Amino acid sequence: MQIKAEEKNGVTVFKIFGDIDINSSPDVKKSFDKSITRDKNKVVISLENVGYVDSSGLATLVEIYKNLRTYAGKLKLTNLSDKVRGLFEITKLDKLFEIVPTEQEAVDGFSD
Amino acid sequence: MKSIIENDGRLLKEVSNKLISDLKEKGVDTDIIFDIHVGFEEALRNAMIHGNKEDIGKKVMIETENTGRKVVICVEDEGEGFDPERLPDPTLDENLLKESGRGVYLISHLMDEVRYEKGGRRVVMVKYTDRKHL
Repeated sequence: MQIKAEEKNGVTVFKIFGDIDINSSPDVKKSFDKSITRDKNKVVISLENVGYVDSSGLATLVEIYKNLRTYAGKLKLTNLSDKVRGLFEITKLDKLFEIVPTEQEAVDGFSD
Repeated sequence: MKSIIENDGRLLKEVSNKLISDLKEKGVDTDIIFDIHVGFEEALRNAMIHGNKEDIGKKVMIETENTGRKVVICVEDEGEGFDPERLPDPTLDENLLKESGRGVYLISHLMDEVRYEKGGRRVVMVKYTDRKHL
């Protein structure tokens, strides 16, 4: 699992490569804990290259969401495969997370 | 196929990867494999962490059978068991921010049939792999 981050119009876009599961979740959490600050609180996570997420992965994303709230920030998820999106729908986490079809829409949405 | 593994989280992926590659080799639909992948790993994780309480001295028993029409998976731990009916519903608004409690719920929604035996120590999961059930 790898995470790459880039800034786009004041929004930090994280791209995760690989599974978000029981093995990688601690690293994902650590990486976001280091990167998210009060000044970097507009976050997009692209799951385009994530083929598998388990309940640990979902829990990690919930933790990131909660951390961002403490910084008055906002999180958007984008580029989910149908199967990964299905996990969010089953667990009703699609009510918690803003899920946007494309990265561009997610970034643009912050300036609306 | 029957196997007994040590209660070691590092073996979880090894066992799961083997089942998933077998299913891929048999040409099972990738969407169905995804559901089995999540269901199987959630059941294994529950057995190791919640059932066997991460006790490395305990074992997890695994049985898998692919009939060509369905995949049947049994996962059994050596713990005290549990009552799945008494677990909180993770989809209620008050539970959405919780960081645990979604594994059993995912299993019940991704697999076609799920039953708990031996007081919850053993879960039997069935996923139909023929297109007629889609």
